[in-house]
Amino acid sequence: MDYTNKKLHIIYGDGTFGVNGQDFQYIFSYERGGLESLKVHGKEWLYRVPTPTFWRATTDNDRGSGFNLKAAQWLGADIFTKCTDIHLKVDEHDFPELPIAPFNNKFSNHEYASSAQISFTYQTLTIPATNAKIIYNIDDVGHIKVTMHYYGKKGLSPLPVIGIRLIMPTAATGFDYEGLSGETYPDRMAGAKEGRFHIDGLPVTKYLVPQENGMHMQTKKLVINREATQNNSDQTNEKFSLSILQDKKPFNFSCLPYTAEELENATHIEELPLVRRTVLVIAGAVRGIGGIDSWGSDVESAYHINPELDHEFSFILN
Amino acid sequence: MKANIKWLDDPEVFRINQLPAHSDHPFYKDYREWQNHSSSFKQSLNGAWQFHFSKDPQSRPIDFYKRSFDSSSFDTIPVPSEIELNGYAQNQYTNILYPWESKIYRKPAYTLGRGIKNGDFSQGKDNTVGSYLKHFDLNPALAGHDIHIQFEGVERAMYVYLNGHFIGYAEDSFTPSEFDLTPYIQAKDNILAVEVFKHSTASWLEDQDMFRFSGIFRSVELLALPRTHLMDLDIKPTVVNDYHDGVFNAKLHFMGKTSGNVHVLVEDIDGKTLLNKKLPLKSTVEIENETFANVHLWDNHDPYLYQLIIEVHDQDGKLVELIPYQFGFRKIEITKDHVVLLNGKRLIINGVNRHEWDAKRGRSITLADMKQDIATFKHNNINAVRTCHYPNQIPWYYLCDQNGIYMMAENNLESHGTWQKLGQVEATSNVPGSIPEWREVVVDRARSNYETFKNHTAILFWSLGNESYAGSNIAAMNKFYKDHDSSRLTHYEGVFHAPEFKKEISDLESCMYLPPKEAEEYLQNPKKPLVECEYMHDMGNSDGGMGSYIKLIDKYPQYMGGFIWDFIDQALFVHDPVSGQDVLRYGGDFDDRHSDYEFSGDGLMFADRTPKPAMQEVRYYYGLHK
Repeated sequence: MDYTNKKLHIIYGDGTFGVNGQDFQYIFSYERGGLESLKVHGKEWLYRVPTPTFWRATTDNDRGSGFNLKAAQWLGADIFTKCTDIHLKVDEHDFPELPIAPFNNKFSNHEYASSAQISFTYQTLTIPATNAKIIYNIDDVGHIKVTMHYYGKKGLSPLPVIGIRLIMPTAATGFDYEGLSGETYPDRMAGAKEGRFHIDGLPVTKYLVPQENGMHMQTKKLVINREATQNNSDQTNEKFSLSILQDKKPFNFSCLPYTAEELENATHIEELPLVRRTVLVIAGAVRGIGGIDSWGSDVESAYHINPELDHEFSFILN
Repeated sequence: MKANIKWLDDPEVFRINQLPAHSDHPFYKDYREWQNHSSSFKQSLNGAWQFHFSKDPQSRPIDFYKRSFDSSSFDTIPVPSEIELNGYAQNQYTNILYPWESKIYRKPAYTLGRGIKNGDFSQGKDNTVGSYLKHFDLNPALAGHDIHIQFEGVERAMYVYLNGHFIGYAEDSFTPSEFDLTPYIQAKDNILAVEVFKHSTASWLEDQDMFRFSGIFRSVELLALPRTHLMDLDIKPTVVNDYHDGVFNAKLHFMGKTSGNVHVLVEDIDGKTLLNKKLPLKSTVEIENETFANVHLWDNHDPYLYQLIIEVHDQDGKLVELIPYQFGFRKIEITKDHVVLLNGKRLIINGVNRHEWDAKRGRSITLADMKQDIATFKHNNINAVRTCHYPNQIPWYYLCDQNGIYMMAENNLESHGTWQKLGQVEATSNVPGSIPEWREVVVDRARSNYETFKNHTAILFWSLGNESYAGSNIAAMNKFYKDHDSSRLTHYEGVFHAPEFKKEISDLESCMYLPPKEAEEYLQNPKKPLVECEYMHDMGNSDGGMGSYIKLIDKYPQYMGGFIWDFIDQALFVHDPVSGQDVLRYGGDFDDRHSDYEFSGDGLMFADRTPKPAMQEVRYYYGLHK
């Protein structure tokens, strides 16, 4: 029988789309507009649905050059996310509408597939507005390829960053990555060495005023390690990990205990909240940090992110 | 002479009874003392002093220097340290605007057609006063000798008294001030009184972008003079014959008895003697044009130093004073194509600006801080330092000699608050400018810097100061260096704003924060070698785009490179009762207003001396032209 070769167990829920396999369980929420649960080997990896991210905590150079004033509407677009469209495809079948009740009454608990694709379109709260689409492609062994496509539009403000933010329920004990040494940006990575690096905990670079920090450019692989969960029935406290692999091209990431907004709010590092979660930003486009001066000079133009052009990037959750 | 508090208001009074500046050579009784780096001619007065703080001159204890004064109510304070960091006065960080901004209306004396304003500082309600007392006995080894006292650094104006007698007055916070105590010194039970004012007219000249402190923040020492004492050593090693041979000249100025002999030796690292001369003592002994064939040149890669040894013998042949000094042979010059050469090769500056800073001690830094900074320089391919914007502690110059760090030795001068007004050049009340009454005070700063440090091989550039605009007084400083020193170049950026003085001021075209494109425009038709005396502003997460500057080095031989702004964040450790942690605080965190807040943190290093992530980039780019 055909379905025996298909490894993904699909649940057409009343409010969600469920994908289950040997050691994983994914829940895509129609209400929340994204991946609500990424459960691997019994461990939950998501605190809230991943969203596009467009803001970075203002650097001293950004403040000096007035970049934060020019880019300010991206802050709102970063905090508040408006999902306007969800599209589902299972194997070769394109659903013209989401399979919620009563449409899902025809399904059973024995629905199987070899692949599934679900995409979420987000309209940015900017003037003019534009769209960003996050597409999850799940293969038959449960690997998720995540692609984000940003649609450029004329007249938009300059962009601090284009990425996806994944917030994890507890703080990581550390992470390992294959890429460049140290904290790097497009205009500050010539001195970095390629290699494999282990980072203990979730260090925040201790700039006097908390600001954008911790970016790692051109990464091939990232493994995030945690021990604690929020699951009251799970007291194991043993290390468990999630891998992020490059797709076509290396990716850029920061792995911190804070969102850009939390960093933005603090004037000293000791004002930052207690460390309790992991904030992973996978960035497709990273703006340079500049350095000519801190009172007017912009980042060199080669390291700007052009908001009027399309940008796309992808990575694989393993 | 009686001390007069009105000196604080008068820019023409800046040193009273202060001995002339002289070279910083050490002197010992014998070879064993040299071996131990401990001279029996010196007695440190560092340690606990009695101290009284007054919020203004009116409330100070005027008679505190008298022997009859009852000081039992005084506190104690460590010397050296900053008064503010002992909790007596408020920390304040301000960049351009003077610390009294919007509290007191002040304009510099003799500007705007006005003269001196009596009481401007001597009755200034912001002019805090530290009254310091030190009781001491002379070490037995010092007894019977003439005794000098040397203050290595005191911010910002001080009156010195010994045993009830006025000794002298000094300004210029960052160069040594030396006085003769001989007429009033006793073997036992001396009372030294030092009255330190936070402000005087010198404050107009010391508007450096930094935390504004006051107090005796560097070492204090008693110096006993042997019967014959080398007061000043002036060595002039030069390089000749296509960089092969060295010529050694020296002038030795003695004080005290001039009977006996002086024995001058120069040895190389292997102990081989290159010069061995015995000359009769005179007030000035000269060594003239001694040629050393095939000298080993000094540079960053190979900071080779020769050992000079001066033995002073009395008429019976007994050693009375031993002066060791290390020096190198190196030649700096500008070609007719405006390229700077060191020892015949193009000089490239992979530099940093360095404030003296310690997150617990302010500018009262330690030798351990200095050694750590040198190690950081070596590790990250930093080959040059600008002593922004004042002379540093003496040991730093020796460390730079020994480690091949090229120095831009800057005078204690920054007056940007008198001409940079909300980002615009507005120089109507600029000092020193061309105002006659402000001339001697700045030329004296050039003289003190030169005379103190003239023997340091590492110094390649004398920098006239920072951001002080330009006029005939800064031209006079340039002239002072040109009249006294043909072996180094002069540097001054501020003439950028007064180009009519470019012929008289600065051998280098110096810019700060000039974007790479504009630097390139200048380099297409340069009139002088170009240096960025400040660039790559490392405030917070920065140092992006450094490669655009480094490319100019390959493209234009007239581009010398530059000095990154700057080496270390200025922030202070404070215990935070809310988090229970020791944390770093910056401008404005002490309720200090006006403040320029986090602008105090522009370092490649965090204030706790750990490197910022940008350092790997600096190490890479500075390694390309080592």
